[in-house]
Amino acid sequence: MNSSSMQIRLTWEDLTTGESREPTLNVPVGLGREFSQIPTEVNGRRVSRIALNSVEVSRFHALIDLEQNQVVVIDQNSSNGIFINGQRQTRSAIANGDTLQIGPYQITVTYAAITQQPPSPPSGNSQILFNPDTNLPDPRLNQPAPAPVIPTSGSFPPPSFADVQVEVQDLYATGLPVDEIDYATIGAGLGSFVWVDFLRIFGVKAEKIAALGIEEQPYARYKRLCLNSQIPLHERLRSNSDSCPDNIWGWPSYALREAWHDFFGGRLGEMLRKLWQVFAEPTFAETYTPRAGNVFNSIDREAARIGWNQIFRYARVRAIRKTTDGRYAIAYSRMGARNYAFIVARYVHLAIGYPAIQFLPDLQAYREKTDDFKSVVNAYEDHNHVYQHLESNGGTVLIRGRGIVASRIVQRIYEARQRNQNITLLHLMRSAKPQGNKYGSAQRRVENHYEFQPFNWPKAAWGGELRAILEKADPQQRQSLLADWGGTTTADRSDWRRIVAEGIRQGWYKIEFGEVERVERDPDGVVTYIKEKGFKGEMRLLANFIIDATGLDAKAKCSPLLDDLVSHYNLPLNHLGRMVVANNFELVEMRNRSGRMYAAGASLLGGPYAPVDSFLGLQYAALRSVDSLAVDRSPATHRLNPISSFSQWLKWALNHSP
Amino acid sequence: MTPTLLGRWQTRILLFSTVGVLITLPFGMGIIGPGGAVFFWVLLYLALFGLGWDIFYQYLQKLRWDSDWPGVLQLLAGIWEAVFVALLVKIFGLPGVPQDLSLEWFLLNYSFVWLGVYVASQTIMRILFPRWRFRGGQWL
Ligand SMILES: Cc1cc2nc3c(=O)[nH]c(=O)nc-3n(C[C@H](O)[C@H](O)[C@H](O)COP(=O)(O)OP(=O)(O)OC[C@H]3O[C@@H](n4cnc5c(N)ncnc54)[C@H](O)[C@@H]3O)c2cc1C
Repeated sequence: MNSSSMQIRLTWEDLTTGESREPTLNVPVGLGREFSQIPTEVNGRRVSRIALNSVEVSRFHALIDLEQNQVVVIDQNSSNGIFINGQRQTRSAIANGDTLQIGPYQITVTYAAITQQPPSPPSGNSQILFNPDTNLPDPRLNQPAPAPVIPTSGSFPPPSFADVQVEVQDLYATGLPVDEIDYATIGAGLGSFVWVDFLRIFGVKAEKIAALGIEEQPYARYKRLCLNSQIPLHERLRSNSDSCPDNIWGWPSYALREAWHDFFGGRLGEMLRKLWQVFAEPTFAETYTPRAGNVFNSIDREAARIGWNQIFRYARVRAIRKTTDGRYAIAYSRMGARNYAFIVARYVHLAIGYPAIQFLPDLQAYREKTDDFKSVVNAYEDHNHVYQHLESNGGTVLIRGRGIVASRIVQRIYEARQRNQNITLLHLMRSAKPQGNKYGSAQRRVENHYEFQPFNWPKAAWGGELRAILEKADPQQRQSLLADWGGTTTADRSDWRRIVAEGIRQGWYKIEFGEVERVERDPDGVVTYIKEKGFKGEMRLLANFIIDATGLDAKAKCSPLLDDLVSHYNLPLNHLGRMVVANNFELVEMRNRSGRMYAAGASLLGGPYAPVDSFLGLQYAALRSVDSLAVDRSPATHRLNPISSFSQWLKWALNHSP
Repeated sequence: MTPTLLGRWQTRILLFSTVGVLITLPFGMGIIGPGGAVFFWVLLYLALFGLGWDIFYQYLQKLRWDSDWPGVLQLLAGIWEAVFVALLVKIFGLPGVPQDLSLEWFLLNYSFVWLGVYVASQTIMRILFPRWRFRGGQWL
């Protein structure tokens, strides 16, 4: 091989988002934490430099080079070393398909020069968008419709939306309905609901607030994603006992409420078990989590208490603009064709959830080629036909991804096997997971290549030391903190661990590792071709169904609404392509005299607060933003003090309106 | 719980000086047990030494991946703090606390105090201070 043109491809997962990174690079390749510390040249050859964010990675950690026509990796005196296929090495040859572990990163090396790349799958990540009419994940929708750049007359939003600020009179001049209100939240999902709950408890009347969204039940989309990803109503979520979207104090927690019902139902043993769980979790007892159905019911009660039905308005929001009088104009469409309207509000909150679902590019390529939307599915799509087919006919399923959703699907397949023993499961992971992430002197636990953590971030990221550390950190430090705390994890549930161990022992469950080359249709099903370690050849995995359980995506550009806002006002995006907010969740660049705009949810990942996409994180965001509104003396908000907090809690307990 | 050091200190001081004192009142006044100011002295020492132990707990907490402090550890820490104060009293004596302190009454008083402080931290603190749980136990 010609050393001057030797190329390798490095593949790893971004630890915060789970997205795949796969650059093809000329050897030599330098890897380290600080770009500027990696040499630009070795022996007169230019170095391809890759920065890996994590405090476990040294400034200049490793060099991949060619020696006597062999690809070798050389440790650059790093503090935590390099592991090749799980073995610590300071200098070692690497074969095609080997895995390098550097800090928390598992990097697969493939020789690009000798691997004849077949027409490769689209690089980067592909998405499944939510249909704006039905709110369902819709794989047949292509890229988000580009926002109208230069609106013409008669179009919507109107031509005045091309300006930086719009005149409120111009909105009235369109002849379309215009409403003026103090507070508006966009999305009307759980993030909006929690924000409204805080406003109401802080003293704002229901008629001063509008929640604009597509479905009235605040948990409508969330519930659907739960059901699709195999969390039925009686199943338990992955959520802390005191993360209660219906109660801003987190008391009584879901565990206490369940224990209370157990007590009156005469189930004393059950009651004690739950109390012990919340006393001893996660070290001496399995972490308590609430049942999905109980959470939905509690939200229904709170929605009725705060007058949500008066606050919710059906609206597909198209664009937001600053107005010349220090407010915001929101253009939206209503039910039916060409039914448009505006809302003008002084305080706006953006909580639109996930703009899209991430879908593995090779699976997307398969779907585009074959138009087969049944055998290759995403876990967040409705895919019950898979289990129905398996239960009546048996078959093989291949799962991609190893997070909580993969665990749920393994459990569902296990249940299907109780009805039909002829079901087998292949679990394809990109690389082995010999050890868990490290942070300081703590390390995450791993078993059977599953990494365990009670919730999607370490607990202290919500309200403990880690929250404070991240908030203080600068954007660069935040990247590495998030990489160290992040990564794909699942819950340490004894039933799941038992299922996995049993499946492996009985042979119906198999974990495979490898990089997918392509996915093709076959008379017997769907075939996944993967590169085997050491380039022994190509491996074929035949399955009847493939389920992608790799995750959700929330880049701002996937949402037409956010994309328009970002490009119109030149808003900064962070290293993950998400929106940038201040510590109080304000979109500072959108400030408009006394007008304020805030945001919450997955579209803020990578900023000052890690668990933005969780019940408790949404409550934290709402508390910070509503507190800052109260400090600014926005209309009718009163910052809660111990006395008003107590009296509001009593109202909650007695189910009286706030 | 996922406390920070400042949060541990603030919560300890607040709860010992309110719940702790309230629970110790009937002991001090002799309604329960022999009575005497000694109960308040012991409470003061528990709170003061506790401020030091908090630094140690915070160090231990860093060894835990979730950087959390479950109720069980709070219980073990509580037992240790009582043993420590009892040993100091029995071996050296402490100003205001004679060496012949009655261990039974001390234990009874302390068990109530620990339970009262724990329950208050899980209930009324959350209701009175809605920001407390997000700030690692800081209420100020
Ligand atoms: C399967 C699953 C399980 C989860 N489990 C937990 C858990 O156990 N505990 C936990 O704390 N968190 C959990 N989460 C994370 C998180 O709490 C939920 O996803 C939550 O619903 C996020 O709330 P949100 O308001 O950001 O988004 P959503 O609840 O999805 O609401 C956003 C809404 O905005 C609407 N919208 C978007 N664009 C527009 C527009 N232009 N105009 C009008 N409306 C628009 C959407 O239709 C949607 O209804 C889970 C997430 C998933 C997917």
